Amino acid sequence: MDFKNILLFDSLSKLVGTFIIFFTAVIFIYSLGFIKSKKLEYYFWFFLTSIVSLGVVFSANLIYIVIFWGFLGMSLFKLVNLYSYTDKDIARAAKKSFIIVGGSDGFLLFGFLIYSYITASTLVAGNIILINTPLSLLSFIFIAIGCFAKAGCMPFHIWVPEVAEKASIPVVAYLPASLDKLLGIYLLARIVKDFFVLNDIAKIILLVAGGLTVICAVMMALIQHNAKKLLGYHAVSQVGYMVLGISCGSPLGLAAGLFHMVNNAIYKSCLFLNIGNVEKSSGTVELEKLGGLGKFMPITFLTTLIASLSISGIPPLNGFISKWMVYQGLIDFMNSAGSLTLKFTIALSLVFALIGSGLTLASFLKLNAGIFLGNPEKEVKEAGKLLLFTPVILSLLCLIFGIFAYSTILKFIQKSAGSFVEIGLWQPQLATYLIIAGLVLGLIIFSIMKKKVRTSASFIGGEELLPTEEVKIGDFYNAIKEMPLLKNIYKFAEEKIFDIYELLKKFAFIIIRFLRYLHNGILSTYLVWCLIGAIGLFFYLFK
Amino acid sequence: MKLIPLFIILPLGAAFLLSLSGKRKGAFCDIFSNAITLLLFIISLITLYNTNTQILPLIYKVGGWAPPIGIPLVVDSLTAFMLLIVNFISFMINLYSVNYMEKFTAKSKFYTLFLLMVGGMNGVVISGDIFNLFVFFELASIASYALVAFGSRAEEMEASFKYMAMSAMGSLFILLGIVFLYSNASTLNMAHLSEVISNQGINKTVIFSSILFILGFGIKSAIVPFHAWLADAHPAAPAPISAMLSGILIKSLGIYSLCRIFYNVLGVTTSFLSLLMFLGAVSIIVGGLLALGQSDLKRMLAYSSISQVGYIILGLGIGTPMAILGALFHLFNHSIFKSLLFLNSGAVEYATGTRDLEKLGGLREKMPITANTSLIASMGISGIPPFNGFFSKLLIIFACIKSGYIGYGIWAIIGSVLTISYFMKFQKSAFFGPAPKELESTREVPFLMQTSMVILSIVCIFSGVIILPKFGNYFTEPAKNVLAQGKDYKDMILKVTNEK
Repeated sequence: MDFKNILLFDSLSKLVGTFIIFFTAVIFIYSLGFIKSKKLEYYFWFFLTSIVSLGVVFSANLIYIVIFWGFLGMSLFKLVNLYSYTDKDIARAAKKSFIIVGGSDGFLLFGFLIYSYITASTLVAGNIILINTPLSLLSFIFIAIGCFAKAGCMPFHIWVPEVAEKASIPVVAYLPASLDKLLGIYLLARIVKDFFVLNDIAKIILLVAGGLTVICAVMMALIQHNAKKLLGYHAVSQVGYMVLGISCGSPLGLAAGLFHMVNNAIYKSCLFLNIGNVEKSSGTVELEKLGGLGKFMPITFLTTLIASLSISGIPPLNGFISKWMVYQGLIDFMNSAGSLTLKFTIALSLVFALIGSGLTLASFLKLNAGIFLGNPEKEVKEAGKLLLFTPVILSLLCLIFGIFAYSTILKFIQKSAGSFVEIGLWQPQLATYLIIAGLVLGLIIFSIMKKKVRTSASFIGGEELLPTEEVKIGDFYNAIKEMPLLKNIYKFAEEKIFDIYELLKKFAFIIIRFLRYLHNGILSTYLVWCLIGAIGLFFYLFK
Repeated sequence: MKLIPLFIILPLGAAFLLSLSGKRKGAFCDIFSNAITLLLFIISLITLYNTNTQILPLIYKVGGWAPPIGIPLVVDSLTAFMLLIVNFISFMINLYSVNYMEKFTAKSKFYTLFLLMVGGMNGVVISGDIFNLFVFFELASIASYALVAFGSRAEEMEASFKYMAMSAMGSLFILLGIVFLYSNASTLNMAHLSEVISNQGINKTVIFSSILFILGFGIKSAIVPFHAWLADAHPAAPAPISAMLSGILIKSLGIYSLCRIFYNVLGVTTSFLSLLMFLGAVSIIVGGLLALGQSDLKRMLAYSSISQVGYIILGLGIGTPMAILGALFHLFNHSIFKSLLFLNSGAVEYATGTRDLEKLGGLREKMPITANTSLIASMGISGIPPFNGFFSKLLIIFACIKSGYIGYGIWAIIGSVLTISYFMKFQKSAFFGPAPKELESTREVPFLMQTSMVILSIVCIFSGVIILPKFGNYFTEPAKNVLAQGKDYKDMILKVTNEK
């Protein structure tokens, strides 16, 4: 057997494969502490998922990729449905996500088939084609739909927040937060690198999808009250950055996209697992009902804080570097872009990305303050060692990949994306020293001045609060919901106007209503159709 | 070769004997009819083996009379392929019926009709004579009318009547078509008929009778707009019969006959092929949408049959070897997973007393075998890899692209999204989520019902390997060649006939 055409071990697949194994290992450790019932079923699907994901990454044949890829939808369905006998909504979320993921797999398959028809080969690498015919553009779009749905990019993102809210935490951290992102972005990077030379239309499609994903999802995240759903929307929003990076098509952009993919998987699963710990200890993830847990769960608080700062792009953590690289890639791309439309789109998506980053910080302020700060309502216990191990490891990785980025992870990424030169200067180690020096200096000044710290009751607008009144952090964010223009948009969003699944469902049911009207169960109606069909046949074949 | 008439003699003879046994209950009927169907399945396996080792086609002359006057029974690879499907599925369903049909009276009558239907289908597939094909066609149809009404409640009677009215109309069209052909060619033997038509060239009479055939077989195979009977008849029948109807009857009576007559006897034209493609694509979408709108489980499955038959018709309409292979493969797969799904629906109804999806839920915890087998079947029919349906749809869609019908390919993909949607609805409503209070005491169905569901689901998982040449070369590939060679069929038959 010729393994050359079956397995593909290049630096890109090795990079993604390594992280698949890594996440399988760390989330397995977490699951040991978390999963208490239906263990056999859970671990069966869990490990099957990891094997199948490795199959996607290391396959050298398009058909194998589709086979493995499609199977992942089913394992997602089974894992989400694990505890569906407790809640009807779990089954609903599983159904919705499987329809979206499985349906988009059909389009992915179609894209692959067109591609292999054009290139007359089913191999993954070695056939780069120009997007110059409608057929090749169609192929690109269909493959991209598959990637978008898997990674959770708009407009195929809808399943991610729902699964995040309903499914059990290790499943969320494993599939939508890490593995599905790795695979979706892997395939997108693969097609941009090895399948197609993107033209302007293809790039604009990616830019628009990426930019809108960043800004829309983060706006939705801002108004959430459920911590899991909030994180679910961020899981969508961050995909936007990866898609933006990859849309540049340059080695720098590709590297930025891949680096952000790795970083996102790290901090996002860390955040999800921590929320799992919070849920396990306090029994709820509704931000209104939580508060003051920082005292009781210091390690969870610290790791959540690190991951939150990282996702918000605060230097010197890893999230900052990858976002910074995405911005540089976009700016570089804008300088080299030919048409004015393209330039404008790039500029717009860059602005969206920048604003999105700020809003991410705002919403994580809400999350951290809502859960860990404020007055505790009751006493809770810190999670067990097994449950803390994984978040600690992941938040340490956030630090390491931030401060020592260029000597560790970026070396591997450079191998897979190609060498690149950054236009902006960022020396994370030096910056870290400076930040630490600044903090130390501040502390010294503070202790030298020996100012007394005054403690007083909380107040708003100069007025002290009554003991009965309590201000929750979430209340501040309600103001966003009341803003003139946004108010309407949020109203539409709540009516699921932007939900492609619901839209198509509505559309389908309009046609179905008509078809059902035709199927009235009366024999003579049916005979009339046969007659009409017969007339049509005679007309067609005798003309 | 001597085995060939057994396909007809065994079921018909057994049906006769069973009808003599009257209303007697007990194990005799069960064992006897299961033994017969098992025997038929084994013979069909032997026949498949024979078609791969001997010179084809195998011809049996009934009564020793030589064609074109005598009636020949012809077995070529396509026939062997169909025989295996028909007899395998009927064995599985017969096994399932042992427990399921307990709640009906007159089990022996059920088996009588069941075996008549099997005999009729075998006869249609095996007959080398177009009029004889029609006779067996009617035999299977009439048995199926009675079986649809077997529960003899008002709605079942109504459905059966509708089915009978439309189906009889189809039969009459076919008979009329045969009359026209006979008046034109003065022979009913398919090989001779084909030769005469080739010599004459296509004239108006042939076109007219081909339209009648499309109408008649279109009604039988439930192609839109001739599909309306199916949604009433299939849900009304007892579950094993629904599985028979959707699993094999519409295929052997409808699709097989359509293929045989058009590809091998009359010869296909481009306008005919594009017509098939169009009707196939319309069936995919209309059937899929109607299935999505249903909350009655069996009705949903019935509409889904229309949609899946659309794929087969689309594949046949593209007409390239790859597309035909995909269509035949999908025909095989569909007969497996659709019968399995109907058996699942029967199991759900057996255990809970309802098939309304709104009233079901949480059955996964109560009926794990039914739940898992139906999940496998749903994944298969939705085209999720690595289950069998994926590979056949892959072939059909790739054939669409290769022949340049991108639009039809996209229709097929949309159809597959619809398929996923309504099967997810089925899974979610019936098996996942919390169980309603009324279903607390639900238990798994009896052993024999489980057995046949499990065997079918195993076939569902592993029959994807037929796409590999190693396996397909003995099964689907030669069957495809029969259709792909088109009118050369007559030469092969005539050669063998004249030799003897």
